Amino acid sequence: MAVRAQFENSNEVGVFARLTNSYAIVAVGASENFYSVFESELQDVIPICHATIAGTRIVGRLTVGNRKGLLVPTTTTDQELQHLRNTLPDDVKIQRIEERLSALGNVICCNDHVAIVHPDLERETEEIIADVLGVEVFRQTVADNVLTGSYMALSNQGGIVHPKTSIRDQDELSSLLQVPLVAGSVNRGSPVVGAGMVVNDWLAITGLDTTATELSVIESVFRLGEMAPGGAGGAGPNKESIVESFY
Amino acid sequence: MKTTWKDIAPVPTHQEFLDIVLSRTQRQLPTQIRAGFKISRIRGFYTRKVKYTQETFCEKFQAILDGFPRLQDIHPFHKDLMNTLYDADHFRIALGQVSTAKHLIETVSRDYVRLIKYAQSLFQCKQLKRAALGRMATICRRLKDPLVYLEQVRQHLGRLPSIDPNTRTLLICGYPNVGKSSFLRSITRADVDVQPYAFTTKSLFVGHFDYKYLRFQAIDTPGILDHPLEEMNTIEMQSITAVAHLRSAILYFMDLSEQCGYSVADQIKLYHSIKPLFANKIVYIVVNKIDVRRPEDLDPEQQEQLQEILKSGDVEMLQASCTTTEGVTAVKNAACDKLLAERVSQKLKSSSSAATPSGRLGDVLARIHVAQPMGGVRESFIPEAVKDLKKYDKNDPNRRRLERDLEEENGGAGVYSFDMQRDYTLANADWNHDKIPEVWNGKNIYDFVDPDIETKLAALEEEEEKLEADGYYDSDESVEDAEDADTRMKADLIREKRVLMRNDAKMRKSLKNRAQIPRSAKAKKLSEMERGLDSAGYDVDAAGSRARSQSQVRGRALTRSEPGDDDAMDLDDPRQAIARAKSRARSQAATDRRNDGVTDETARTKADRLFKLGQKKMNRMARQGEADRHTTASLPKHLYTGKRTIGKTQRR
Repeated sequence: MAVRAQFENSNEVGVFARLTNSYAIVAVGASENFYSVFESELQDVIPICHATIAGTRIVGRLTVGNRKGLLVPTTTTDQELQHLRNTLPDDVKIQRIEERLSALGNVICCNDHVAIVHPDLERETEEIIADVLGVEVFRQTVADNVLTGSYMALSNQGGIVHPKTSIRDQDELSSLLQVPLVAGSVNRGSPVVGAGMVVNDWLAITGLDTTATELSVIESVFRLGEMAPGGAGGAGPNKESIVESFY
Repeated sequence: MKTTWKDIAPVPTHQEFLDIVLSRTQRQLPTQIRAGFKISRIRGFYTRKVKYTQETFCEKFQAILDGFPRLQDIHPFHKDLMNTLYDADHFRIALGQVSTAKHLIETVSRDYVRLIKYAQSLFQCKQLKRAALGRMATICRRLKDPLVYLEQVRQHLGRLPSIDPNTRTLLICGYPNVGKSSFLRSITRADVDVQPYAFTTKSLFVGHFDYKYLRFQAIDTPGILDHPLEEMNTIEMQSITAVAHLRSAILYFMDLSEQCGYSVADQIKLYHSIKPLFANKIVYIVVNKIDVRRPEDLDPEQQEQLQEILKSGDVEMLQASCTTTEGVTAVKNAACDKLLAERVSQKLKSSSSAATPSGRLGDVLARIHVAQPMGGVRESFIPEAVKDLKKYDKNDPNRRRLERDLEEENGGAGVYSFDMQRDYTLANADWNHDKIPEVWNGKNIYDFVDPDIETKLAALEEEEEKLEADGYYDSDESVEDAEDADTRMKADLIREKRVLMRNDAKMRKSLKNRAQIPRSAKAKKLSEMERGLDSAGYDVDAAGSRARSQSQVRGRALTRSEPGDDDAMDLDDPRQAIARAKSRARSQAATDRRNDGVTDETARTKADRLFKLGQKKMNRMARQGEADRHTTASLPKHLYTGKRTIGKTQRR
């Protein structure tokens, strides 16, 4: 299932929310519309948490998490941390980490098995990621961008990377992650796919500007909704037509 | 690239041309001239006429030259097509004649302008102008045939179909009457005329259709007869041009039923004779009219001939019937697929020799590439609840009450404030809304939050109890010896004294609304100093006397000393001084300055006159005296500014 939503006229859904297989964190907005999109799609399957991080609303960019854990930056206040602990399920480990690159959502991209992180991240952070999130950690770039979390959206079933990623990089990342990858965009051509959408294994929420084509690519690569496993996104039989008409 | 020439301006005939140019000269230039005008003006008038006419001619000719396509600049297909249709030589000559005419007119104009410079009268000028315009008209009249020809070419060019030589193209060719036009009709929406006689199609026709989201053009060509190229007529040559120049898939149509009037052998022969034109192209033999006769029904000899064509391998045979539409789509799809594959492979090959293409093509390929991992896919974690999740329906009366609904009920956005603690998962749901202070006794509560705090507290309490039970707190040793007490007492005294001193200093320092004077600048009485020293236990006398001695001023006394003092200066007897003070001042003789130095009355009047003369200038300038050098404002502002209404000027 892929749906479109907007946070206070902003399409950057991934900035204001964090979605995993066991919980969702949503920024506190002026109205409850954005929260209710999550509420209506997730219902009671996983808990949804209204939260701020360091008093800001950019929770999606500051935190990183998966089914097993959640990492918050050092700027998180004690009260916010306690609120998260109270709301999220007890089996989700929550850890505040001392890391100079405090926008963890920008520098770390992970699913439940593997994480791709910024090459300059500290060693201690890398270990904490491996422990708390229970993942293998790789230092990598996406299309020569160090902000892996911004330029990549990842679930256990697939991933989207920056639209200008070369085929070689895609293959390399795909073999590292063991999930199918496509280069794509969200929000009518925005290359920041990580910040433009949130995704878990059965739901993706993208910005309201996302085109039908982008949404169909997202649904097929993440295998959401009607898309049966095996139906790859992108071109398929029409590859020739695309090459012929776009070049 | 230009594929149509619909926007060429019409070419007028030579008569219209003359009318246009001459009437424009007449309308746009002045017409009034008199013999009495200066000759330079008259010459200028006629020079202008001649020049203007020439410019108009040249402008019009240039427009014609620019409007028509230059054969060397257009695609070879269009070039050859124009050659076939209009004869390239004829076309070039016509344009060349126009160009020559333009140059001639320029020369005529130059010559006559030069002559007009030497004309002596209006009449001469006018005759020269007439001669110039007459010659220009003659040159134009000679263009009669080229202009007519160019107009015909223009009209025909505008009606040519728009054929793009570089796009995806299916080209349909073959003998007349084999069903080429009906095939075009059946695959595109082009409304081509189909008639049961040969050469129904006399020119190229274009139809468009979509296949795999791409636009293809199909070109229907006139039928070709099998004779040498030199003997072919214009209609057939158009087909040949298209076959030769268009990068396309060629569908060679054959009619095995021989209803077209040409035998199968003839058709196979034609194929062989135009085969050289098919080099580097995709070629299909399309057997049409299979509802009448299929290739299997041919006699062995013809069958063999047909198979010989197909033997080379790069030619395939397809079958179709336009009347029953059997196989039509298959023919179209097969041709399109192969054409597309061919074009794509060429693009991939030509873009770069490296394994991965770069640039725009690389971008396109990167975006349609799905990177599949080598090994198995990762395990996903979708909760069971997701599978039987009911889709949220806004119109369902029993729908889940969302936070948004609560917000609406409680005053809308900006008024409603959601309950942050509602969804806490604590051990006891009653604790959800418990208030926890952030700071307690100056300490951050959360610094002390510890998951094991309860057990630690229990351990501590247990230890305390144990200590208490052991009598750890029973012993009481509060003995203090005398020395300690003395030290304590002294320390207290010192502290007290310090506080007093501090208070004193504070009192002293407080200004109480007075100016602050530095201590060094303050006058202190000697007595004060003595008292201070005394209280501190110092000897007062020595210090006092020293201070006194220092305070005595050295130098002349400020008061006059008493008479008889030894030090005093010798003075006169004071009585003398008094007497002198009372003495009267020296009297002065009374003088009459007016009359002194003037001998008699005449000298007096003369002096008066000279005096007045000397003052004359000063008086005239309204000077107060010789020293008055005041300059008044030359333009007094108050007199020269402002509106001048009735009477104002006079008044000031």
